[in-house]
Amino acid sequence: MSDFLMPLTQLVHAIQDSETSTALRESQYVWSLFEVAHVVCMCLFAGLIIMMDLRLLGIGNMQTPFSQLQKRLFPWQMLGMALSAATGLVLVYGDPVRFYANIFFWMKMTLMAIAALNAMAFHYIAYFDVNNWDNKVPPYGAKLAGALGLALWGFVIIAGRLIPYNWFQN
Amino acid sequence: MLQPFFQSMNDSSIAKYISESLWIYPLDQAIHLVFLALFAGSILILDIRLLGMGMREQSVAKIARDSFPWLIIGFLGLVATGIPQLIQNAMREYYSEFFWIKMYVLPVALIYTFTVRRMVSQADEGRVSPGVQKIVGLVSILLWIGGVAIPSRLIGLFT
Repeated sequence: MSDFLMPLTQLVHAIQDSETSTALRESQYVWSLFEVAHVVCMCLFAGLIIMMDLRLLGIGNMQTPFSQLQKRLFPWQMLGMALSAATGLVLVYGDPVRFYANIFFWMKMTLMAIAALNAMAFHYIAYFDVNNWDNKVPPYGAKLAGALGLALWGFVIIAGRLIPYNWFQN
Repeated sequence: MLQPFFQSMNDSSIAKYISESLWIYPLDQAIHLVFLALFAGSILILDIRLLGMGMREQSVAKIARDSFPWLIIGFLGLVATGIPQLIQNAMREYYSEFFWIKMYVLPVALIYTFTVRRMVSQADEGRVSPGVQKIVGLVSILLWIGGVAIPSRLIGLFT
């Protein structure tokens, strides 16, 4: 382990050894409750993100103006994201050493960061002239953001589901 | 009654083929979850509207028509990626109570979605009261999330 990761490694092990983390890890029901809740919250978040990305690609929800769809789904997307993040944090807290050493976990985190950048880039670069395409198929920049969003969140879900399979760990 | 059928799936060459591959089963599970997100999105975008929230300026009928193809694609994708998991795990599923809860609620949720929910959401504006719409949306969420999605996740956690 490289030196600059030492503080993080120590933190991960300190959490792992804490009473609450151990209790969570060893409690079948509480742990499972958070596993289930994480998937349900993901459905709300990713589901409505996908609906928005399909609209950006010009292939779904085309009868609703984009700005309206964006404005009305946004609070629900944020609710889904907050709950997914909260339940995900609890799961990481309950089994930190396993996640810390898992390649798919870090792939998921990286893809989420890129997806967030994609959303921000869309907001500042492609969304400003929404009035010109609000009722139409969006222009290429917006379509690109939609396609990237779909692909990135799809791979976030895939990487997340693969975390239990630690093929690359010895 | 179905035990011989599940046993034959369990012993089939397809099950053997899947279990001998390192990647097929995990990737199948992962793609199942991607289709779940698509399916859930197409369900929730309408159910949230039926509850009187979400895309309130848009009519229920238009949201229903727009989301319908994605509901079909999502569902077909879930079935296509679900069947290999069933074959691979046939006996475990057979003895899982959560699997049978899912299998009993699933047809109910499907019939409900294609009859009651579809008629209510395609009715002319104003013909269905907001109260009825709310109940229809709420029942849909309870059936799909509570009756199908949650038991599905529990199959893997408690067997």
